[in-house]
Amino acid sequence: MNAYVITIATIIAINAITVCGLNVIVGYAGQISLGHAAFVGIGAYSAALLSTKAGMSFWSALPAVIAISGFIGLLLGLPSLRVKDDFLAITTIGINFIVEAIFLYIPFFGGAMGIGGIPTIMLFGLKIKGLSFLLLCVMFLSLILFVCWWFMRSWAGLACFALREEESASSSMGISPMRFKLLAFVIGTAIAGLGGALYAHYMRFISASDFSFPVSISLLSMLVLGGMGNLWAPIIGAAILGSLPEIFRPLVNYRILFYTVLLLLMIRFQPGGLLGEESFARRTLSSILPGIRK
Amino acid sequence: MKTIVLQVKGLSKYFGGLKALDNVNFKLFSQEILGILGPNGAGKTVCFNLICGDYKPTHGEIAFNGQRIDGLLPHEIASLGIGRTFQIVKPFSSLTVLENVLVARGIMRYKSFSKIWSIWKSPTEKKAALEVLEHVGLADLASRKAGLLPLGNLRRLEIARALVVGSKLILLDESFSGLRPEEIAKMERLIQDIRKDGITVLLIEHNMRVAMGICDRIIVLDHGRKIAEGAPESIQQDENVIEAYLGKRTYANAA
Repeated sequence: MNAYVITIATIIAINAITVCGLNVIVGYAGQISLGHAAFVGIGAYSAALLSTKAGMSFWSALPAVIAISGFIGLLLGLPSLRVKDDFLAITTIGINFIVEAIFLYIPFFGGAMGIGGIPTIMLFGLKIKGLSFLLLCVMFLSLILFVCWWFMRSWAGLACFALREEESASSSMGISPMRFKLLAFVIGTAIAGLGGALYAHYMRFISASDFSFPVSISLLSMLVLGGMGNLWAPIIGAAILGSLPEIFRPLVNYRILFYTVLLLLMIRFQPGGLLGEESFARRTLSSILPGIRK
Repeated sequence: MKTIVLQVKGLSKYFGGLKALDNVNFKLFSQEILGILGPNGAGKTVCFNLICGDYKPTHGEIAFNGQRIDGLLPHEIASLGIGRTFQIVKPFSSLTVLENVLVARGIMRYKSFSKIWSIWKSPTEKKAALEVLEHVGLADLASRKAGLLPLGNLRRLEIARALVVGSKLILLDESFSGLRPEEIAKMERLIQDIRKDGITVLLIEHNMRVAMGICDRIIVLDHGRKIAEGAPESIQQDENVIEAYLGKRTYANAA
């Protein structure tokens, strides 16, 4: 594999991890978030600051990074999740802009210069670069997929599905809407934090614009493309939206237009996503392999 | 003397100047079927929503098994063992019928942070949920998506969920409305069976004839006030009730 392919695959793997977090919030619990990049940013900046200023290694900082992202998710989720639907969408957009502005204007976070000189990850005395970094990301991705798989099978996950479908009916079954929405939000933002930490150590330089609102939109596009609420959707979505721009490199100036058209086509023709219920891919697969439905 | 399951004292709910419910009192005894009747806008659903915690009462008390429950949140009231259905059905549409019942089976786990991480897709849970579905007659539709069911089956599904939550008391909000006559007959049998299992039933009903058939006792509300209470036969003869439903006799004579 050449370095170019490895780079793209690594970015896809990191995005897939991040989108898994978004899937917990939007796909499982049904709480729209248009500010997911902010939490990736919080993870990336915590990892960058802990390694450059506090001199911690990636591994020793990682639990703290995940805890910080989840904790800030809890703080920001507490007021935001009181509103629903469109209002929640607008609130999360607001969160994204505020977090980005904090990174940009507070000198502690490097301001417009961003944070550079983030060390590479070391493991058993070896520098993790290139292919081994990709393998590390794939390992983390498998771990996160396992967490999501477990979550979907746990009572907590079932409570979130119920909330997504019908909030007042679920509270008549003993499900506290606020508690389970917050739970999904904290898990989702903690996973975003992990993605951010990997991103920071991979790029070794981060700035506020890496976590701006359009990034949130492209993360959400990946999820919608793959199929919200599906375990494998983040991988499919991240892989397609990660590789298509490379294949259609001449069209780079039209990327946002391309995303928009893709999103509209998906909503019109495959509203459940590529892996959603009754989708073209699902139907084809189940006609080839009967019994794949569940 | 029968034990009191639910006691409502001086219950009032005002929306601004509108007295949706005004000083209503009643008791619900164990294992009885009590019907709340009344014309449109009488305050039946408001009364229900107060008991379930969707609204907070303006005045008054609600006690379940001797414990005050007014002011608690809906999920807290549910976890005490009060199951309910909705007038406008609220299924978890994209989940299967079986999964809908399984959500209700988690009732005792949702309160504890450590218990929510265990797996719900277990054979024992599935078997228990299937038993409930069998009871309401939906077992053969267990793997169907709830959103695809017709109204009659959705009303049964809601009762199945309510039965799992409400081991002692279930509240049924117009479970007969929109049903065909043969479905109504099946539903009546189901509610009788539920009572035989030792569960107390409070139901709201719009249709006089249906309520007369299955209730042990009936309360009639009109304009937020309780205008009559008693056995179905006595309610049928009650001047106030006839007036609320049909208008004053003098008008009838004049016309």
